[in-house]
Amino acid sequence: MIEVKGLRKSFGDNEVLKGVDLTIEKGDVVVILGPSGSGKTTILRCINFLEKASEGTMVFDGETFDLSSMNRKDIHRLRMKTAFVFQNYNLFANMTVLRNVEIGLTAARGMGKAEAEEIALRMLEKVGLSDKRDAYPSQLSGGQQQRVAIARALASSPEVIYFDEPTSALDPELIGEVLAVMRDLADEGMTMVVVTHEMNFARNISNKVLFLEDGNVIESAPTKQFFEAPSSERAKAFVRMITADRTVREDNKQKEI
Amino acid sequence: MSRFWMILIEAFPQILLQGIKVTLPLTAVSFFFALIISVIVAMIQYADIPVLKQICRFYIWLIRGTPLLVQLYVIFYGLPSVGIYLDAWPAAIFVLSFNEGAYMAETVRGALESIPVGQVEAGQCVGLSYLQIMWHIVLPQAFKVAFPSLSNSLIGLLKETSLATTITITEMIRQAQIINSKHYETLGLYCEVAIIYLAFCTILTWIQRAAEKRLNRVGGRTEND
Repeated sequence: MIEVKGLRKSFGDNEVLKGVDLTIEKGDVVVILGPSGSGKTTILRCINFLEKASEGTMVFDGETFDLSSMNRKDIHRLRMKTAFVFQNYNLFANMTVLRNVEIGLTAARGMGKAEAEEIALRMLEKVGLSDKRDAYPSQLSGGQQQRVAIARALASSPEVIYFDEPTSALDPELIGEVLAVMRDLADEGMTMVVVTHEMNFARNISNKVLFLEDGNVIESAPTKQFFEAPSSERAKAFVRMITADRTVREDNKQKEI
Repeated sequence: MSRFWMILIEAFPQILLQGIKVTLPLTAVSFFFALIISVIVAMIQYADIPVLKQICRFYIWLIRGTPLLVQLYVIFYGLPSVGIYLDAWPAAIFVLSFNEGAYMAETVRGALESIPVGQVEAGQCVGLSYLQIMWHIVLPQAFKVAFPSLSNSLIGLLKETSLATTITITEMIRQAQIINSKHYETLGLYCEVAIIYLAFCTILTWIQRAAEKRLNRVGGRTEND
């Protein structure tokens, strides 16, 4: 469905992405892993045109685009098929929860008020927040705001949703509710690309892993293979480290009990 | 009753009348244009439009760097020598609008820039156009941020209209001067003008407070990121 080839991005002299390839099939849940500063977020921002790539092509539904010279019309057309969930939620602070979810339908897609509201309410129900429809973002917890952001993303029935570290800004006890919503989406077959540090999510929900370091793809493999038999030394070390970390945490838990 | 109070009481409706006939409309009309100018100038800078942006910076630099009185003199007394004649009222409205507009443009620009970029990006991602993002997301929030400073500008402008007296407009001070030239009650009459200004500004402050309460009821505070 989406095929990105040779994606490069520099900020001044600093080359953040050094030729990234990425293939997303319908129904995929692709997780992008890697240490901080490896360029994970920049990939998402480039393929949704929040940053302009320095080089690279993208095939989207059979159409080929040059990522470094997209015109405004194509950008708009592709954005209508995708959705983005931000680390900091980025809800519209001057609008109620309901308005946040339906504005992409009414203003951007010209849908009638009644129909848009019906869809928005259905999406809010899906993320378990129908009772907050008239609240403003500032009255919600971080986890609730992120769930509204996911409802907003879902409302336009996108072909793919990009998640940029959706739980990184949340208090630990709020992470679970957001991950649960994302798990439901994956179960329903939603195509998702997720930048995350949540290893359990990566391991249990995703079907593909892209492991990134220093702007290079070190390993791109099915999830099971990545965690059980990574081929590169760097990926091996990474998996070892996170599993070790998990064992330590589980040990601590045992001790507490 | 003493002669002093007789003069002040007799003068009061005459001065107040000029306030209602001149000061208030001059303030309202100039503020209306200043608001339009400031929003346009601020949005050009916010959108970073080349050339136009430089023109806007030049305009703000020029206006903020010269006294209002000089600007009035140049437009009203200076321009006729190059063949441009403006009546007192259009000249006053022109100068006051562009003068206050320059200050307000900076207020509005600051307010626009205070809206988190993330909300603009979120707007792009749900498919909104640039103008839709401005209209539905950025401007409403920026307006709330700018409101107290813009109220400040309005109150400042109300008092600055007194300078229109120097280009032959008979506003409250001129009216007081005319009365004073007959009765020589300088202290009393000018204090009377001051009190009327104070009353006008007090009313504006009340309106501001009520409006702010209303604005804050809608939507709570902006996010803290």
